[in-house]
Amino acid sequence: MAKKLIMMRNIIKRYYIGQPNELQILNGIDLDIHEGEFVAIVGASGSGKSTLMNMIGALDRPTEGTYFLNDTDVSRLNDKQLSAIRNKEIGFVFQTFNLIPRANALKNVELPMLYAGMKKKERQDRAMDLLRLVDMQDRYTHKPNELSGGQKQRVAIARAMANDPSIILADEPTGALDSKTGHMVMDIFHKLHEKEGKTVVLITHSPELAAETERIITISDGSIISDTGVTEKIKPESVFPGTEVSAE
Amino acid sequence: MNIWENLKMALSSIMANKLRSLLTMIGIIIGICSVITITTLGTTLRSTITTTLNSLGSNVMEVYVSPKPSVDSDVAYDTISPDDFITYSQVEKLVKEYPDIRIAESNYVCEASSKNSLGKEVGTKITGAYNGTLDNDGSRLLAGRMISMDDVSKKKYTCVVTNVFVRQYFKNHEEPIGQTIKLVSADNGLPYEFTIVGVCTYNSLFSGAAMGREEDIKTPVYIPNSVAKEMQGSYGEERYMYWLLSFDPKTDGKIAKANVASFFEKEYPANKNFETIVFSNQDTMKIIDIIINVITIFVAVIASISLIVGGVGVMNIMLVSVTERTREIGIRKALGAKKSTIKFQFVTEAIIMCLIGGIIGVVLGLFNGFIAGVIANLVISSIPTAKQVLGTIVMVPSVTAIIISIIFSMITGVFFGYYPASKAAKMNPIDALRYD
Repeated sequence: MAKKLIMMRNIIKRYYIGQPNELQILNGIDLDIHEGEFVAIVGASGSGKSTLMNMIGALDRPTEGTYFLNDTDVSRLNDKQLSAIRNKEIGFVFQTFNLIPRANALKNVELPMLYAGMKKKERQDRAMDLLRLVDMQDRYTHKPNELSGGQKQRVAIARAMANDPSIILADEPTGALDSKTGHMVMDIFHKLHEKEGKTVVLITHSPELAAETERIITISDGSIISDTGVTEKIKPESVFPGTEVSAE
Repeated sequence: MNIWENLKMALSSIMANKLRSLLTMIGIIIGICSVITITTLGTTLRSTITTTLNSLGSNVMEVYVSPKPSVDSDVAYDTISPDDFITYSQVEKLVKEYPDIRIAESNYVCEASSKNSLGKEVGTKITGAYNGTLDNDGSRLLAGRMISMDDVSKKKYTCVVTNVFVRQYFKNHEEPIGQTIKLVSADNGLPYEFTIVGVCTYNSLFSGAAMGREEDIKTPVYIPNSVAKEMQGSYGEERYMYWLLSFDPKTDGKIAKANVASFFEKEYPANKNFETIVFSNQDTMKIIDIIINVITIFVAVIASISLIVGGVGVMNIMLVSVTERTREIGIRKALGAKKSTIKFQFVTEAIIMCLIGGIIGVVLGLFNGFIAGVIANLVISSIPTAKQVLGTIVMVPSVTAIIISIIFSMITGVFFGYYPASKAAKMNPIDALRYD
């Protein structure tokens, strides 16, 4: 059994606490995700999947419950510590790419490493390697507005890999792309998962996309209503530089 | 996250909106520009006045009798008599006691003329002098020596002439020192013979001489005042309410002044109504200095009020920028930027913006000062007397003001950038990411 990366117990999230319009979005989520899994979290809009994603991504703290991410109790951390967790443990990929518009592709990929305090030379070398990984090395000087949607998303994936995070957390990564480029992006996730052994959590409302993954968790009205279960597999050796593979 | 990266980031976002950044900076630019212009004018004014005053004898002081603070000055002046005055013998004793102190009084006797070897008459002004008279006349010795106290006490017929006189009189470039000249008084036609012991410069300002050909200028011939008094037929001891004194420029003016003050405290007779006071030209200069400084600072402070307006402009744009870049802030936070990192980024941006504005302001201010200098010199050179007194004005920028302005503009950046920056830092990453 691989290591448990995510261990959520009875996660509850409420908004407007103490006010008449108090709202409970998550109703006690229990969720375990192991290292090396490729998981899809599916649900209709308003189901609470975005809130769950925010919890997993350490963007928010649960109102109740415990969340261990890579053995750290995230629910107890302060803002500064959460920033550090996001920086080192999570690689975000967003529907709208969310690249910094003024910075070129290389700078965008460098940014998480900059925040991690990595030295300039090391940072640039690794950013170039990562751009090569997503086949964007030729366009490293391009700014986001000079790139197509698919290219932007590839840069964003390279950026998500910057600090070699425990989890790649992708929120509707193909939502803004046509189906062809969408497939290309999905292929990169498969590559990262299969060749790098990355743990990938995909949040989507699309059943087709979810079907590409190994495990589908369906969420509705703030609760997990189905889970196809944990899949076990043997991870291959890494073929890319700078990314570790841990097989336990 | 090092400072260098932060600076680059700040610069890139300032450059991304060049026009807006420039417009934002204008308040700071105008503020700093006016402060620098004003301080440059102030320091230039001060240095011009100081130089002018220095050429007018910065080593001159006066000792005078003045009503004691405890006495009603009207009553004191009503009853003043020559007994209250300072006598020559007191001053003479002072000069003997302190060889670096001189008597700077002068005593105009009459016009006189002298025929040179070519038979040409050269006009002069016979002036009774002491050892320090040149100091108060704004002249300096070029060759030989000045009239000495010995000349005065022994009533020697020695004289010091100006270089202008030398040019007028010695047409064959003879050595003037040691020559005897015969001066015929314009008052009574009597001839007097004096031996030249020294040659000094001629300061036309002091003699109040008119313009014109050098040939026609009548320059002073300094003779011992004791001789001058005889020529004037006055024999009593000199008693004045005030005496002009000077001191060797090599000695410290403060010490010279203190020596004179303590001497007269002892020597001046215990007087019911009057005491002696010493006032030096350096004191005048100090007062002028203070006045100019106060005016400069006062006006500069008024000018710097515009910096506050500029600062508010920066704050306004920073707030807009923070709102506009909400999404960027969200991204940065999601990628692991801490609150402090975001705050630092925006404060740096504000500081850089104000700093650039400050530097542009300083450059423009210096340029203004330079233009003012050019205009001032144009005006001065069109007025001959002004040209003579002031010469060419050299603009003196105040380095202190430049440094303070730059620092102050950065402080403005911190002050007005802090609130927008902490607003950015406090943003919730989820909301910020969702922002359109």
